Formats: sequence, structure tokens, C-alpha cells
Amino acid sequence: MPQNGVLSVEDLRLYFRTSKGPVQAVDGVTLRLERGRTVVVVGESGCGKSSLARAILRLLPRNVDTYAGRVWLNGVDVMSLPEERFRREVRWVRLAMVPQAAMNSLNPVVRVGDQVAEPLLVHGRAASPAEALRSAQEIFRQVGVPIDFLNRYPFELSGGMRQRVAIAMALITVPDVVVLDEPTSALDVLTQANIMNVLKAIKRDMGASFILITHDIATSSELADDAAVMYAGQVVEVSRAEQFYREPLHPYSRALMASVPTLRGEKTLGFISGRPPSLLDPPKGCRFADRCPARFSRCSEEPPLLKVGDDRLVKCWLYA
Amino acid sequence: MRDEVLLSVRGLHTWFELRRWGFVRVGHVHAVDGVSFDLHRSEAVAVVGESGSGKSTLAKTILGLHLPTKGEIVFDGRAVHGQEDLRWYRSRVGYVQQDPYGALPPFMNLQRILEEPLAINGITSQEERLRRIRKVLDEVKLTPFDDFLPRFPHMLSGGQQQRLVVARAMILEPKLIVADEPVSMLDASVRVEILQLLRGLQAKHNLSVIYITHDLSTVRYFCERVFVMYGGMIIEQAPVGELLRNPRHPYTQALLAAISDPDPENATRMKEVPPGEPPSLLHPPSGCRFHPRCPAFMQGICEVEVPPDFQPATGHHVACYLYDERRQAIPAASSPA
Repeated sequence: MPQNGVLSVEDLRLYFRTSKGPVQAVDGVTLRLERGRTVVVVGESGCGKSSLARAILRLLPRNVDTYAGRVWLNGVDVMSLPEERFRREVRWVRLAMVPQAAMNSLNPVVRVGDQVAEPLLVHGRAASPAEALRSAQEIFRQVGVPIDFLNRYPFELSGGMRQRVAIAMALITVPDVVVLDEPTSALDVLTQANIMNVLKAIKRDMGASFILITHDIATSSELADDAAVMYAGQVVEVSRAEQFYREPLHPYSRALMASVPTLRGEKTLGFISGRPPSLLDPPKGCRFADRCPARFSRCSEEPPLLKVGDDRLVKCWLYA
Repeated sequence: MRDEVLLSVRGLHTWFELRRWGFVRVGHVHAVDGVSFDLHRSEAVAVVGESGSGKSTLAKTILGLHLPTKGEIVFDGRAVHGQEDLRWYRSRVGYVQQDPYGALPPFMNLQRILEEPLAINGITSQEERLRRIRKVLDEVKLTPFDDFLPRFPHMLSGGQQQRLVVARAMILEPKLIVADEPVSMLDASVRVEILQLLRGLQAKHNLSVIYITHDLSTVRYFCERVFVMYGGMIIEQAPVGELLRNPRHPYTQALLAAISDPDPENATRMKEVPPGEPPSLLHPPSGCRFHPRCPAFMQGICEVEVPPDFQPATGHHVACYLYDERRQAIPAASSPA
């Protein structure tokens, strides 16, 4: 059954093979993204959020143990496409990505204009290199890189400018969905604010749909329409942004929100003691139970994603 | 006791010589360019700035890891000059590094890591060493003690590694701790734990702390005073509440405005960000280093000379001509809103 929304992920699993057994990096993630909106995936290191990004784009390493589930893009189940068709028709055409530390992933010996134009040529979207460069010019204008930077090499650009180039490279094919993996985490505060402005403008002017993957809750609120919280390979809460940032529901989301320092307004900070469970052999019941202040007997069974109100989902027995 | 000065830094310059092909001198990188301040006993100050503002170089110069090009460091009434002074000084100053895993030798277990500073400082009795290790591990809450001693750094979580780094900094019972971005590599839920630990140790031992960070939102929970650095200089210093409520320097104002709080309203508005990039420290701009990006730039004033310290309120220092009382008579082109 095709799902509505531009992108739906259904029960996505990605396990990695290791010498100690399979690591359940992404374990049954279900998400939905509507056109022109942004869903933020927040979580701490090791919760599987970057693996989720790779699983959606099918950018898999060699040691994959299990890769299963459904990814619907515009009503088409792209998971069932053979690799070659996925590469030709989906990846970087309909579904693009700004990888983590993208600004350091540019090819140092190719002019940035040529790098940005490359996806158009590879996918046959431009008749000639000159036409592709003209599109690159247009996209540079949109992300706020001066046009004469087209002929520069990455080392001649500052970190913020290189990050914009990486974003331009993802946008040039006008994809349906762009996955942003920590797009601002290595940047300075002012540059971060600048990049967020660029992303907001693109969202407004081009109607782009984003999946923003980040550990930085405060900055994520700059772009979020919806928020999903990941813990130990699973999504534990999905909410509209306006509800999530004011009043998260899952005990983990609450604790995480309480640990974010704020500049405006007084707040007592908290922290979460203990550490996340091993994904080699995660606990049978709720994965947060060991660290949860509200745990009770039922937490030894795994809770489903329970519906709270009209449009919130929480994986916690407190809301049963 | 409270107002007694522990560390006094006067006109500190740390420049790095830049050469091309190994011998042609190109110039100097002015990483720290004229920094002066006093740090009191049991006071915590934050040094805030972006990358390239010179904050880490300042920390390393204070620690004696870089030798200053010019200027003086006076600690506890004694100027730190030669090797003899440095040896005395370093045993009284602790260093908490940014990346805990990188700062811990991977081939040493916890006991050896903590014994090393004691051995270097001539504590030979095994009993005494163990007693001090036990005490410091107890303070950073790495207990049970016997369980942790034989472990290697990779067997600890990120938060535990950082607590070990704090323990190593504390083991010689220093009077001053320099913490260079102590929590920036950690997850949000662990950050607060480490900051509270440092704050607790500071109160308990009357420590002075210099907390280097790029993250203004954490300073309120940790410090009494804040120094804001830009282009190798301290451009504003004030008590933390005053700085957050009433930032004076246009750069500080921009920095505060750029920081997000978790708030769904953020998605509905754009942020005001000054144009341009931080200045080159090889050829810093003339006059005020922020003037090419400043929204309140005054032609003929700002680019001429480096602004001196003005004091718009008690304890609030700002290096910006907007606060020059002699110029208040001139109708200001743009107010420091």
C-alpha cells in the first residue's frame, strides 16, 4: 500500500555484521515526511541516526547483516528497486544528501563549480557542461555563494562557504527530499546561523523537503516542522515541532530537553545518568527502562508506538 | 580572600612566525594580541569566542605550553619567567583538554595515568600515591575504585573519560584549572554532568577556573565573569548576568542573537547575522578588528585606532568607540541597539 507524503519509511532495519554478532543500528524505524516540510531526527551519538540516513539512501557499507523494511518515495517503493535502477533514478536525483562533515568531503583538486555541476552531467540532466555550469551558477546564488567562487578550489573557501557548496551539490538536481546529516555541527555560531538562514530560505523558495539529522536540539528548532527522537536504534517519539519543543512526552525526550542549556529564561539543568544499552544485545523491553525515572513493571515488555492526541506517537507505556 | 588576585595577565601577545618554503618569513599570526586581565581566587571565568579568535592559544599560553612573544603572567605574586618558575607554576595549574580520548594515552591504564603526575612531582611512596588517587577518583565519582584502576581509556564511556581527565588535572591539588572546551565533544545529556562536577570541585576546593568555550549558552551555569574574544583580543568583559542581559559590543550582540534556544518559533524567522568572515590574524584589520563587519561602523573612528577599554557600567569593560563618553556629543549614526 503506497503511503501519502513525499517520503515514508516503514519498519526500516539496518543491522551490521561484527565479530561479536549483529549490531542493530536501525531497528524498526517508521517515519513520514510531508512535502515542503522538515522532519528533525534528534538523538545522541550511537543512537543510529546517521545509519538511518544511510539506510534511506541505501549507502551501505560491506558488512550489512540485515537491510529490510519499506521506503516509499512519492508513492513508489524504492526499497524494492534493483541497485542499478536505484542509482540511476533515485539516489541524488530524487533523494539527495548532505553528509556529515560535508565541507571536508569536497574533492580538493576539482573546482567547486565543476563538482556542483557533476550530478547533472552524470545523471544526464544537462545537455552540455556549459548548461550544467549555468545551473550551478543559479544554485550558488540560492545558497549565497558568490558566482566567481565557481572557479575556486575548496581550500580557497572558508568552512561556511564549503558547507554551502555541499548543500548546493545536493540541491542541484532539485530532489524531492534532501537528507541533511549534522549540517552545522562543525561550524561556528555565526556561520551556523547563516547556514540555517540559507536552509530556511531554500525551504521557503524551492519548497524543499528535508530530513535533518542532528544531536543539537537547540539549533534543530530553527528548521523543524516535525521532530522524531531516536534512542538505541529506535524512534521513541514523533511530534509536531510546536508541541515537541514545549513539552516532549517520552521520558527520554524530556530528560534530553532538560539537559539543553538555554540563553533566555532560567532553567535548572538535568542530565541522564548511565549510558545507552549495547546495540549488540539490546534489552527485551523498553530500551530506556534502565535509565528511566518513571519505569514500572510493564517496562520489561517492549512498548509499541502509542498514539497520543491527534498526531503524536510515543513509545512508552505511560501513555497506554 | 575572595578578591585576592591569583593570576594576573599583562599585555600578553602570542604570535606564531609564518614561513614559506621553510625560510622566507611571511609574517606573524597574531593569535593572541594584547590580552590583560586579573583572575581572582575561587573565581570562574569563561573565555568565549569563535574558532580563530585566539581563545585556545590564550589557554595554552596561560598553561605555559606556548611561550608568550610579549607580556607577563604573574601567578600568586610570582612572575613566571624561566624554567624554574615554569616547573613551580605547572604543578599548580591543571589542564582539562577538549577531546578526552585524544588526551589520554591509550596504552596506560587508569592507575598509571594518575600516578604519572605524582611521580614527576616526587611523590615516591606507593601508599601516598594510592591514597591520593583514591581521593581524586572519589571526587570525580569514578567508583568503585578497584574496578576502575586497571581499566584502559577505551573501556570507559565518553563521560567517564572526561571525568578521568578532570581527575588527572586535579591530582596535584592545583589552584587553577584551565578547561579548554571540556564538554564540546560530549553528548548533551552528559555535558551538564561534567559541568556540574567541575562547578562542585571549584566550590569545594576554592579553585579558580578558566573555562574556554564557543558555547555561550553554558556559561551562565558555570561562571561569574565572561570574556569575549575576537581576533586575538578581549573585546568585552562583564559579569555573566550583565553580559547576557545587556551585551554592549556589536559583536557580542550578534553572537548572542545567533544562538538558538529550543523554541518552535525559531522556524518562523530569519536570524540577523553580520556579513563577512572572522579576520585574518596574519594581516588583522586596522583599528577595531570587527569594523569591516560591524553594523554600527563609524567612518574615521573605528578603522583608525584599536579602541581602548571603556566602562559603560561598573565591572563591564568594552573595547568599542560607541561607549566613548567624549563622543557622546556627536549624534550617533546608529544606536547600539
